[in-house]
Amino acid sequence: MSATPSPSGPVGPLLSVRDLGVTFRTPDGDVRAVDGVSFDLAEGRTLGIVGESGSGKSVTAKALMNLLPSYADVEGTITFDGRDVRALATARERHFWGVELTMVFQDPMTSLNPVKRIGEQIAECLRVHLGRSRRDASAAALDLLERVGIPEPRKRLRQYPHELSGGLRQRVVIAMALACGPRLLIADEPTTALDVTVQKHILDLLDDLRRERGMSMVLITHDLGVVKGRADDVMVMYGGRTMEHAASGPLFTAMRHPYTSALLETIPRIDAAAHARLVPIAGRPPNPSELGPWCPFAPRCGSRVEACTVEAPPLVDDGTGHRSACFAPLGAGEA
Amino acid sequence: MAGSGDAHLRDPGAFDDVVLRVENLVQEFPAGGTVGRLAGRRAVVHAVSDVSLDVRRGETLGVVGESGCGKSTTARAIVQMPRPTSGRVLLGPGTDDEVDLAATGGSALREVRPRLQMIFQDPISSLNPRRSVRDIVGEGLAVWSSASDGPHQEARVDEVLRAVGIDPAVAATRRAHQFSGGQCQRISIARAVVLDPEVLICDEPVSALDVSVQAQILNLLEDMKDRYGLTLVFISHDLSVVRNVSDRVAVMYLGKLCEVGDADAIYERPAHPYTRALLASAPEPAPSVDPSEAAVGDEVPSPIDPPSGCRFRTRCPRAVERCAVEEPVLRAVGDDHHVACHFPSLWPSS
Repeated sequence: MSATPSPSGPVGPLLSVRDLGVTFRTPDGDVRAVDGVSFDLAEGRTLGIVGESGSGKSVTAKALMNLLPSYADVEGTITFDGRDVRALATARERHFWGVELTMVFQDPMTSLNPVKRIGEQIAECLRVHLGRSRRDASAAALDLLERVGIPEPRKRLRQYPHELSGGLRQRVVIAMALACGPRLLIADEPTTALDVTVQKHILDLLDDLRRERGMSMVLITHDLGVVKGRADDVMVMYGGRTMEHAASGPLFTAMRHPYTSALLETIPRIDAAAHARLVPIAGRPPNPSELGPWCPFAPRCGSRVEACTVEAPPLVDDGTGHRSACFAPLGAGEA
Repeated sequence: MAGSGDAHLRDPGAFDDVVLRVENLVQEFPAGGTVGRLAGRRAVVHAVSDVSLDVRRGETLGVVGESGCGKSTTARAIVQMPRPTSGRVLLGPGTDDEVDLAATGGSALREVRPRLQMIFQDPISSLNPRRSVRDIVGEGLAVWSSASDGPHQEARVDEVLRAVGIDPAVAATRRAHQFSGGQCQRISIARAVVLDPEVLICDEPVSALDVSVQAQILNLLEDMKDRYGLTLVFISHDLSVVRNVSDRVAVMYLGKLCEVGDADAIYERPAHPYTRALLASAPEPAPSVDPSEAAVGDEVPSPIDPPSGCRFRTRCPRAVERCAVEEPVLRAVGDDHHVACHFPSLWPSS
């Protein structure tokens, strides 16, 4: 895919985020959860957002979905297919969320209504957003359940969420997210609550559906292994900021940011020898209240220079669309 | 899988350094309700069904499986929290100190407890929020030593705290919530190790931690193992983590063992279709299996009414009629490599 920020390209990106910032006003002071995040996503592509807890990845997703609580201050612009999403005001315009842009959450049990039948919940999306009739919507719900690979779909329509396994529940949630034919699907840790044998099936399903519908997808995860081979582009976040953003290939083979590299090296490998010494990252992830205008990774970084603790390095594009925010990027010596 | 049997247990005659031996462990819980038509049987959750394991001194046994496979229940049954329905849990089998924990109770069981310690998944909720961290770590010693040991105890607590990377002076004044998740797990490790246990049971010790902190704790466990001569039973759902820490691996499914043996054998020459499916499902599949082997069904049967014969048969690509009738028993397919399957993948003997 082309370099990421290419607003001047022949076709504009589907989603364009500029200088997104989210600050939570809490009784203990302001917490800056997301700081200056910008990225573009083209139609039909998958962006993987990778980060640990507190990196701002889920808050970014919620900002896109307009799901942040009232005590969150949001700055920046979010443009979807040329429209300023943050300016959508009327009830009719706001069907945008749920029709064109939808989301799948981590825990399928809490994103389903426990006292409503599966079929009604899926049909509800179609009735509320698209004004489809009851009969129409039920028929569509059956098709959707079939499409997401749920066995005995007719029987499942009449069941409640607790009667389904975690994997099936997540398939139902995916069916709901797809009901109105979204152009962009945000999947926030869609498989973290699931077992490993089920995880692969769900990720494969999302991939197939995306391809079949020409949909775009944002896949959010803490596990670099999940996005490897699935995402076209990967954005690595830490402490609310973008550390690195590149096409998947270069990100894994020619990473520029010390955090990306440390993260890849610290993960145990399934094909390594037993008792292979792991390469730890010193320290701990930052507490959001300790963040400042410096690089959030600086306290743990092996390549730290003096400037890192004074100001945050800007996110710089190397000309090929590979962006990284580091004063001492890897491979800089050879360049 | 779903095998019973004890072919994988090591002959006490040949190995005199087995420190923990679990024989025919069964753990069942009442489920409420009944199974079958009419009044039926009272429903029972068959959480662990006839599992046998052993661990040699200084060895790490990794127990791996998905949620509901009984791996954590096995860990808890070993430490008698709660007591298993049946089976034996022998600490120091064959020695003068041999104790069957499952047959011991009251003060006798309490006296054995320091020999067997446990660390848990959630490091913060497993520490008392109202006590200083130093008190938490010293508590076991205070309970088990005589009053005259005071200065010695203090020194021991300091030594262990330093070994896990916590400053003893800081620990004296702070409580658990003032430490990060990774630090709390260090404190849990110190609390367990301070009693000089023979066996340390680790139940998903890194699953609640951020990936950038996991490696610190895994390395620390290896260091503590070397330093204090620990024997570990390491429970985890993460195949890569188990690969890193284990000498021997046991794969569980729905309360039964599928495959047990040397870690290299299990990862490099997996024989059981379930082990192979697990290895193929990892985000980066193991090179010893084909990614297509991940194609097993999603639906795990209920442990209230597990399938007859092999418990994996409902998802198994190799299942035939025999699998529903006859439960496979663990049998050797290589040097220290045992599998409970009628149709295992066999590898040229190495």
